[in-house]
Amino acid sequence: MTVGIVVVSHSRALAEAAVALAAEMLNGREAAIEVAAGLDDGGFGTDAVAIGDAVARADHGAGVVVLMDLGSAVLSAELALDLMDDDLRERVVLCPAPLVEGLITATVAADSGATAAEVAAEATAALAAKQSHLSTGDTAAPQPPEPAAEAVPAEITATFTVTPPHGLHARPAASVVRAVRGLDAEVRLRNLTLDTRAVPAGSLSQVATLGALRGHVIEIRAAGRQADLAVQALLDLARDGFGEVDTGTAPSRRAAPPRAGPAGPVAGSPGIGIGPARRRAAEAVGVPAPQPGDPASHRDRLDRAVAQVHAALRAVRERTAREIGDAEAGIFDAQLLLLDDPELLDAVRHRIDGGTDAARAWADGLDEVEQRFTGIADEYLRARAADVRDVRDQVLRRLGGSGGAAAGGGVDGVLVAADLTAAQAGALDPERTVGVVLAHGSPTAHSSILLRAKQIPAVIGAAQIVGSAAEGTTIALDGTTGEVVVDPADAVLAEFRSRADDLARRRTVALAHAGEAAVTLDGTTVLVGANLGSAADARDAVGADLAGLVRTEFCFLGRSEPPTVDEQEAAYRAIAEAMTGRRVTLRTLDVGGDKPLAYVPMAPEANPFLGVRGIRLALDRRDLLTEQLEAIVRVAHDHPVDLMFPMITTVDELLAAREVLDEAVRTVGAGRPGGLRVGIMVEVPATALKAAAFAPHVDFLSIGTNDLTQYALAAERGNDALAALADPLDPGVLALVAAAAGVAGDDLLVAVCGELAADELAVPLLVGLGVRELSVAPVAAAGIKEAVRRVDVPAARRLAAQALAAPDAATVHRLLGR
Amino acid sequence: MGDEQIDAAALQSWLRAFARSVAEHKATLTALDAEIGDADHGANMDRGMTAVVAELDATEPGTTPAALLKKAGMTLVRTVGGASGPLYGTLFLRMAPAAGTADSVDAGTFAKALGAGVEGVVARGKAELEDKTMIDALTPAVEALEAGLAAGDSLQEALRAASAAADAGRDATIPLVARKGRASYLGERSIGHQDPGATSAALLVAAAASTLGVVVGG
Repeated sequence: MTVGIVVVSHSRALAEAAVALAAEMLNGREAAIEVAAGLDDGGFGTDAVAIGDAVARADHGAGVVVLMDLGSAVLSAELALDLMDDDLRERVVLCPAPLVEGLITATVAADSGATAAEVAAEATAALAAKQSHLSTGDTAAPQPPEPAAEAVPAEITATFTVTPPHGLHARPAASVVRAVRGLDAEVRLRNLTLDTRAVPAGSLSQVATLGALRGHVIEIRAAGRQADLAVQALLDLARDGFGEVDTGTAPSRRAAPPRAGPAGPVAGSPGIGIGPARRRAAEAVGVPAPQPGDPASHRDRLDRAVAQVHAALRAVRERTAREIGDAEAGIFDAQLLLLDDPELLDAVRHRIDGGTDAARAWADGLDEVEQRFTGIADEYLRARAADVRDVRDQVLRRLGGSGGAAAGGGVDGVLVAADLTAAQAGALDPERTVGVVLAHGSPTAHSSILLRAKQIPAVIGAAQIVGSAAEGTTIALDGTTGEVVVDPADAVLAEFRSRADDLARRRTVALAHAGEAAVTLDGTTVLVGANLGSAADARDAVGADLAGLVRTEFCFLGRSEPPTVDEQEAAYRAIAEAMTGRRVTLRTLDVGGDKPLAYVPMAPEANPFLGVRGIRLALDRRDLLTEQLEAIVRVAHDHPVDLMFPMITTVDELLAAREVLDEAVRTVGAGRPGGLRVGIMVEVPATALKAAAFAPHVDFLSIGTNDLTQYALAAERGNDALAALADPLDPGVLALVAAAAGVAGDDLLVAVCGELAADELAVPLLVGLGVRELSVAPVAAAGIKEAVRRVDVPAARRLAAQALAAPDAATVHRLLGR
Repeated sequence: MGDEQIDAAALQSWLRAFARSVAEHKATLTALDAEIGDADHGANMDRGMTAVVAELDATEPGTTPAALLKKAGMTLVRTVGGASGPLYGTLFLRMAPAAGTADSVDAGTFAKALGAGVEGVVARGKAELEDKTMIDALTPAVEALEAGLAAGDSLQEALRAASAAADAGRDATIPLVARKGRASYLGERSIGHQDPGATSAALLVAAAASTLGVVVGG
């Protein structure tokens, strides 16, 4: 007869999951566990009558141990006891153990034949393992006193080495307990490696306190009539690896991780921002239109979306822990916990079962939780609302939700967040959001590019500040230097304000001269262009000499079918018209497997950035390229247009693309537009080195320093860990720029359209390398023109030579005066 | 004088009035609970009292007050779900034996029964006065009821005083720190919020004052 166990919980799902977890400990033997959890209608709650029934079912004469979660579970269990027959009541123990730990320990203890009182005592002691694990040194959790050594005469001792990959964790520990239970012997174990005290081998909760990891040496001390049997049983068990399969996992002890990437705050977007910390998510994601399907399919969609967000969050958390530290990584735990919250998930599933769409059910469920938090007076708890909002939005996005980007807005003050998606950064209103402080991000990430484009000062990689800055605290940041000060003293604040004034003055001067050409001190004209993603961008391009890069993807993204030739023509024409006669450089569609278009199905790629993208995709889908070139040719008949092919690696690709262009010219029919010039993007290192081979076939080369940097340094742009490595001022990258710029001449313009062009300090270097066009975010154009006006070309050439000879990027930064 | 008789029909009126009152104040109760608890008190009590009314509707004629109270208690235990289930359930379950086996009880017996029920709640929840719980409304109510009857007031007068005492007790929970239930997790942050349990308990006493001892057609 074994002791029965009853689990009382508000949530049936929680109880059943806990039982499943405990059943793992029994290697397939059935656990005698009854559940009294939740209400009949599926809601949360406890029911004293149901508890009484469960106890009656669980009782086989040896008694019942009841484990409860909290609150009404305890009250209802007590009431159930009151309502019960005296005879049964005497055999029931209400156990104060924590539910999950207690249940697992109780299950093993009951299985080994312990009495109800013993089971309850074991379960109650189960917390000790966790307390001991989490406490440091001598502040260890209260533990039963160690039996005096003399109480155990005639000991047999032996040692074994822990082999299971995760140490003597729950299941191997349970094997130990089973091996010695029932033997007439007093067996104690001691972790020699950690020099712990000896604990009884028959107690699961005590064995767990040994903290025995793989490789630790454990001492067995046994006394009593069957001591030899007990020792032999344990040694056999140890030899067989405690029945655990070795998956080859490395020991969990890890050396201190190497620090990579920004170890502290770095500059993300130049400018001074001063304002109250605003920790909330940038913009709520809209709830997508309901999708057809029965509740089961909606549950599936929800589960998938939650699992995806969970995996993504875990990845971010792990990366943060690895690169920065566990404390900083902890800021993601709250969100992970929310995704794991069975009450929350059950409530949402309940809505789905009532016929609500997955996305709506999720949004409503989370909004309710968020409201609960925002209604609380306490600041810390209120800040949790931001986590709720963030998790809500992340899952909604996986369920097809969008918005935030289009809605505009943002927060009033300094936005403090873990990270921003490009869409969120794009939605920020510079009038309201005076600065951004991110835990993650890299200067080359899309969100940083967008923040610079919007002239919102930003500091990134500031995990510690993001972790600690309370809502509403004043934050001063300098996005040029990467400084962030929380709650600055008056003097510091004044210093930041004076920097802001200087900056504003310089901007005013720059804007006053924006319409004038940018001519160096020695009379060399350098074109300054604007990078555009829409006609609206063009209107911001005050003072730009041309549109040096129009990202035509804006026509193609977010649609289920490709845009027609007419639609594209209208869009390009609108930009050309907004540029009022200035040259417009249209880059053909540049997408790849990282963000595939719905109407361009692509096989999954292990590394989309080295996959079918840019011109490779265009030549693969000639229909798309043909139509786009037709639209461009039409516009080129009326406006000065530069046409640019992205991701060109070989001359053959360029020639093939030019053939498609020739076809398009024939299709449009009015002959070759006089003002149409053709160029390529130089993003692939090989292309930079082969620039001379391309030169006869193009009117210009435009160096995309963002991609050139990531390919040259084998450092992915979006990988925060590589933010410091992926520096376009690395002398290796500059050598490639020099190689491309080396073929420049009267008939061949070499431009830079990457983020490097917008770095005012880098302007002399680029000009010195031979670059004669810089294309930057529209709002930066005026400032870059001012920077050009300060350049002396002979001095710039000397600077370029020094930079090319520099050993590393840091030296180049110093050369530039940083 | 408090010599009015309370029969099963009168108790039914009380419970139904309480059910209506809970339904009317459902949103308020939930909102109060949202501030310091888990935002389910209104919904839980409404579910429970709706089930109680359904049981009352199905009650056979001739049911004694004790049987009626027991039925109400068991129904609350089974249907409320939150901590108010076992607590309100206990209140009625403990009132039942004190009501004896007669077809009706007098005012003094009713007061004793209510006192026994409240003692049961105290024992169940292990709460004391000023722990910011339903006790803060119920205990002063019972004291006022007993004092009123002892002073020779009519049941209705005594219940009105009890209701006023319950309301005062409810209001007095606002500045208190919660020491029981989920609100206790908030500690000092629970200050400034009215306790939802005390609020529903005051509704229970108010329902008694509006239904018991009222002289129909008087």
